[in-house]
Amino acid sequence: MTDDQMVLRAVHDMWESLDPVPVDLADRVLFTLQLEDLEFELMRLQEALAPMGARGAETASTVTFSAESLTVMVTVSDSGPHHRRIDGWIAPGGALRVELRTPRGVHETHADADGRFAFAEVPSGLVQIMIHPTNGATVPLHRPVVTPPVQL
Amino acid sequence: MTSVTSDDTGVGAASWERAAREFAAWRAGDPAGLDRLVRLLTPMLWHLVRAYGLDREAAEDVVQSTWLALVRNVDSVRDPQAVLRWTTTTARREAWRTAKAGRREDVAEPQTLDAALPPVGGPDATVLAEGTARTLWRHVAELPERCRRLLRVIAFEDRPDYASLSTELGIAVGSIGPTRGRCLDKLRGLLAADPEWSDRRD
Repeated sequence: MTDDQMVLRAVHDMWESLDPVPVDLADRVLFTLQLEDLEFELMRLQEALAPMGARGAETASTVTFSAESLTVMVTVSDSGPHHRRIDGWIAPGGALRVELRTPRGVHETHADADGRFAFAEVPSGLVQIMIHPTNGATVPLHRPVVTPPVQL
Repeated sequence: MTSVTSDDTGVGAASWERAAREFAAWRAGDPAGLDRLVRLLTPMLWHLVRAYGLDREAAEDVVQSTWLALVRNVDSVRDPQAVLRWTTTTARREAWRTAKAGRREDVAEPQTLDAALPPVGGPDATVLAEGTARTLWRHVAELPERCRRLLRVIAFEDRPDYASLSTELGIAVGSIGPTRGRCLDKLRGLLAADPEWSDRRD
């Protein structure tokens, strides 16, 4: 190796050591890619008040995701040793159909007219929320919006 | 295979070949090929995206949307040999756009990195010892931002596309080579003057 290559190799290793890729990032990418219909808008994580996936503390964590036309605020709290409860709030509010994807299947509910929804017992693991265009809802969506998967 | 040459870091060329192989397998109908491709390239994409100063959440979003873009536009990658270039260029462009739009920039800065860092020390023997990494980081942090970004990109991407790098880093295409040389010289100088570094390396 030349001198340059050795320095670059050291820089490479330094970054791997000091700023490692999140261990489950590839899993989360693949979880999204498993969606059959890829015609959706991927929401962006806008704000996390407490890190999702940081287990241990029994406090709830709140995360906000944003798409072009709406935002959804999600609060996760414990609901028994192996389950979590998800409370969501879509803004602007509307009675939209909401799906929760988990590795073991899909849960479905409708938000109320204010945009509030809940999933009472969600097994820990990867989950992803999908909000669908819905007939009769006051919020017009052209295509589904999907959150990036997060670890519960 | 004349299009693949030896790389700067010793990892790029192998990734290039494997990426082409997994992509071809996936396109030929093996869904596990995509799985392996994502696992192979996601760490590289992470470091490229982080080079643009995005915080961890924003960087994850960019990596997600890069893969989504690949699957949605798979027909635009005609040659499996092009898949690595396609994904790295897409990720860097998106990272640059996101950073330019002012979305939570630069958590990976010298003054904040220490506080934000999780404890390190994986089983991987190729990863520098934490003390050595921190010594090196102290010197990298002294380089101009342009140098830090350029060095991080070329430390992870073998032969990046200079045209897109030029736009993203605000360096004329013809100046990327010389800039890279100057940045490396500067870093080498800083390291040579640090007894702590030479002790570790000798």
